[in-house]
Parts: sequence; C-alpha cells; structure tokens
Amino acid sequence: MKIVSSAEQAIVKKDFSEVWDTRMARNTLIAVPALLAIVLPVMYLVMIYFLPPGQLNGMDQMMRLFPEELKSFSVRQSMFYLLTNLICPMFFLMIPLMNSTVSAACSFVGEKERGTIETLLLTPLSVKQIFKAKVVGCVLLSALSTAASFVIFAVVISAGDILLKMPFFMNWNWVVLVFLLAPALTVLGVIFMVMVSGKSKSYMESIQTSGYIVLPIVLLFVGQFAGLFQLNAPVLLAFSAGLFALDALLLRLAAHSFTPEKLLK
Amino acid sequence: MNAICARNLSKSYDGKSMALKELNLEIPGGGVFGFLGPNGAGKTTTVKLLTGLLSPSGGECSVMGVSPAEDPCGVHRICGVMTESAKMYGQLTGTENLVFFARAAGIQPAECEARANELLKRLDLWDARDKKLSAYSTGMAQRLSFARALVHGPEVLFLDEPTSGLDPESAQSVNEMIAELAGREGTTVFLCTHQLRYAQDLCGSYGIINKGSLLACGSLSELSAGIGCRTRAGFRLADGEKPEGMERKDGWWRTEILREEEMPALLSRMVEAGYHIYEARLIRPALEDVYFSYVERQEARL
Ligand SMILES: Nc1ncnc2c1ncn2[C@@H]1O[C@H](COP(=O)(O)OP(=O)(O)OP(=O)(O)O)[C@@H](O)[C@H]1O
Ligand SMILES: [Mg+2]
Repeated sequence: MKIVSSAEQAIVKKDFSEVWDTRMARNTLIAVPALLAIVLPVMYLVMIYFLPPGQLNGMDQMMRLFPEELKSFSVRQSMFYLLTNLICPMFFLMIPLMNSTVSAACSFVGEKERGTIETLLLTPLSVKQIFKAKVVGCVLLSALSTAASFVIFAVVISAGDILLKMPFFMNWNWVVLVFLLAPALTVLGVIFMVMVSGKSKSYMESIQTSGYIVLPIVLLFVGQFAGLFQLNAPVLLAFSAGLFALDALLLRLAAHSFTPEKLLK
Repeated sequence: MNAICARNLSKSYDGKSMALKELNLEIPGGGVFGFLGPNGAGKTTTVKLLTGLLSPSGGECSVMGVSPAEDPCGVHRICGVMTESAKMYGQLTGTENLVFFARAAGIQPAECEARANELLKRLDLWDARDKKLSAYSTGMAQRLSFARALVHGPEVLFLDEPTSGLDPESAQSVNEMIAELAGREGTTVFLCTHQLRYAQDLCGSYGIINKGSLLACGSLSELSAGIGCRTRAGFRLADGEKPEGMERKDGWWRTEILREEEMPALLSRMVEAGYHIYEARLIRPALEDVYFSYVERQEARL
C-alpha cells in the first residue's frame, strides 16, 4: 500500500495552492524566514564588518557568556559568533513555528471558514485520511520553507565565516536544531493550530492564538541572554525528544477530536 | 431493499428542542422523492443525517443498506450530495474544482478531466471552465456544485434546493438532468425543494415535513386522498346552462368526485340531461394545494 493515496495527494496539492493563494500566509512563509534568516544576519554582518573597532567596546559584558575556548576570538569574531550561535538558533525555532501555524491556520481554519470542509467530508475519503493528508501538507509546506531559508542562511553565515576568518559555523547544536528540533516544532505548530481550529471562528483569530506558542521561545531567548542557561547539543536533543513525544500525544488527541460534527459547528 | 430508510430518526442540536422527531421513511430505489416543508422544517437536517455529516440523537438510517453513522465513507462512495453549505474552492477554476473532487472520490487521475469536461458542457459551464470559482455568479456556482455531486456517478443523489438560485432556463436544464438520471440511469434522487411546481413535474413521491415531524408520505394521489383533497370533474357548457349541485369557477362548472372512475358515468348523465358540453376534464389537486392543506392542518392542531 502506498503511504499517500492518489486522493490524499490531491488534497496535499490543493492545500499547497490554497495556502499559497492566501496573501497573508504566503507573505508570512516568505517574509518571516527572509527577514530572520537572511536580512538580519546580512545587516549584522555588514555592521560588524564595517564599523570601526572603537565602537564595539560595549561587548565585554556579553563576552563573559562565552565558553573558555573562544576567548581567543577578536571582538568582531566574537560578535559574529554571538549572532550565529546565540541569536540565529532562536530564529530557527521561530521560523518553523510561524510557518507551520500559519499554513495550518490557512488549511484547517480557512477551510472551515470558507465552508469547503463540508464538501471535503462528503467525499469517500475518511475523516482520518483527510486529517492525515492535511497535516502532511502543512508539515511539508512549512518544512520546505524552513529548509530553503536554512540553506540561504547557511550560505550567508559561511560567507561571514570566510570574511572574518572563522571556522565553519555548523556544529552539533545546529545539526540537532535543524534536523530534530525544527521538525518537531513544525509538527507541534500544525497540531496546535488544528486543536485551536475547533474553537476559533476565523483564520485571523487563530493566527492571534498562535502567539501563545511563540511565547515560550521568546522566554527561552531571554533566558539565554540573561545567562540563566546555555543551550548545548545534549539539552537540545532532550528537548527534541520531549517535543516528539508531545507531538505524538497531541496528534492522537487532535485526530480524535477531528470529527464532522465538531468541524461543522 | 429500500434505497433510503430511516427508523425513528431524531436529531436535537442543543439537547432541548428537537429539529427532527422520529422520522420514518422508506424510499424505494429509482425515481425522484420530493422532500417538502417550510423553512426550518428539518429538511437539511435530514439530508445531513442521511449523509453522515451529523450523527443522530436517536433512531437509525441507511442508504442502500449502508449506515451513514457506521460507515460514512461507504455512503459517500454511492452518494452524491449537494447542500447549500457545502462550498467549493474559490481559488480553483471550475475544471480544477471538479477534477479535484473527482480525484478525491477515487476516480483514476486520467479519467477525471474527461468526466469534468463532460459535466461542464452538460451544465452550460463550458465557457466559464477556466474562470476561478470566486468569479462565478451564485447560479453558476450552484450548477458547479451540482456537477460536483454527479462527478463520481452516484447511485443515490441528495439534492438540497438545487435550483433555488437559478434562472428559469438553468433551473429547467437542471430539472431535466435530474429527471434523466432518475429515468434512464435508475438513480434514486432525494430532492428537498420549495419550488412546488417543479417538484410536481419531477417527483414520483413526496414527503411533507414541518417542525421536525413527517406529516405525510406517498404519491400525489395518496397524499390528496389522505388530506381529503378530491379530484373534481369540470365542464364548460353553453352559456346560460346551470347544472345542479355544481359551482362555477373561471368559466368551468365543477363538482368533487370520489374517484376518477366516476367520470364517464357523470359525463353520460350530463349528456342525457341535455347539456351542451364544449369541454370536460378532470381537475386533479395540485401539489401546492395538498401541501398547504397538510401544513395548515398541522399548524391548526398545534
Ligand atoms: N447548526 C445548527 N445548530 C442549531 N440548530 C440548528 C442548526 N441547523 C439547523 N438548526 C435548527 O434545526 C431546525 C431544522 O433546520 P433545517 O436546516 O433542517 O431546516 P430546513 O428544512 O432545511 O429549512 P430551510 O428550508 O430554511 O432550508 C431549525 O429549527 C433550525 O433552527
Ligand atoms: Mg435547508
């Protein structure tokens, strides 16, 4: 048996076009990753590359957070290290979350809002198949956008590494982040939105609700800067494992509450 | 086996008031069944229960022997459903919409396009096939929904007011298509409608529902008999002639008869009595009259 049947493929394809044709969703899928993964790093890189060294002295405080082995870095190199290893990882938590919540809002809440979910439910596809196809579609779409932005991001940061004569930025943190944590977050964002979609009446309302899920990430961000903790590969790995477990649990719950009666209320 | 069957089927949306009360229906296969009733009678609720979009609060139902509550996919495989609330995708064109729903119905991808084209031509949407649905008029969108319900060649069709937003020409062509499907292909059609004149031409049997209760069910003559709407004999006579016991309306002298079989005898009595008969005919009760009689009788009882 095929994993995704022809009919389910049709739904995935249709969802892609539906999300893409919603201006707000398309803008989010392009603009947020472009801003966080390309524009900001490039601007930052330009700034530290061209700014006179005298202006960079306020950095001493920050640099106390650094691991011992990096104390040999110059001020510029340290600042770039700060960007690549402290700030940008947070962006790559935000991007999958934003992408997945926005595409799921469009695909699940939008379909309910526009009254097309009823028609879909009247096809010979089972509710479970529809649920699966739509989740797969949203996860794929946001993963695609995240992956594309990471590739461009990697090029930008590598260019920075070469310019500043630093070692290649990829490390275990990044590997775990991109290949485990980001996918886990993507799935979480989609399921979260599916569960919210039962309650919210409109697409915009559900997008606003998605703010709650970005909040913990912002806290993580602040926590790290305040020096409360440092993220490293094992911690991230544990996080990912926890998230995948949560995903599996929530996925069952969401599938269970995905019934015609609830969807057509 | 009945194509559509309901036994004590009930539905309450809020747990207090009943939108549908103990509905019993047995609709044989083939032919058009007209489901009539005022706004809020429970027609759409019945269609949603029979197609598995709602689960019943009580009782059970089946379509071609398949229970929509237990096997909704099985019911959807053999049913085409058109309700007002089931919309199609605004960002897709007419053709894309039909192809999508054909694929979702499990039709081989290669066949979908041909099937879509055939229906678009048949429903006079061929020129609009490459326009996005969001640019369609209400009536065009409704015809596309009708095409969508037919895309997988269903054995049973549920149509909830399929012609309510259509101009007379389109309504006629949709009605012709319904009649053709029911006649030639043996499709069973469950038709909810307010357009009683169209219904009378189209349907073989009827159900009349009001406030969630089925008031009557059967063919037009059965319904007329049930409410005491009699067939009348009508005569157009020479000016000045006044037959006894008949009333005059629109130039016709009319009298109620119990059965149509009484007509020949009545006619010969009139001839023998020396009346000059220019025309004679049976005036059967119109569906409209029968329908109002039932609904008014129920309103009066409440
Ligand atoms: N989603 C819903 N939630 C609560 N009550 C509902 C809902 N849908 C219908 N009802 C109620 O159920 C009753 C029957 O409604 P239904 O839609 O079946 O009527 P209908 O016969 O299709 O009317 P119409 O001719 O206006 O389409 C009405 O009293 C209505 O208020
Ligand atoms: Mg209705």
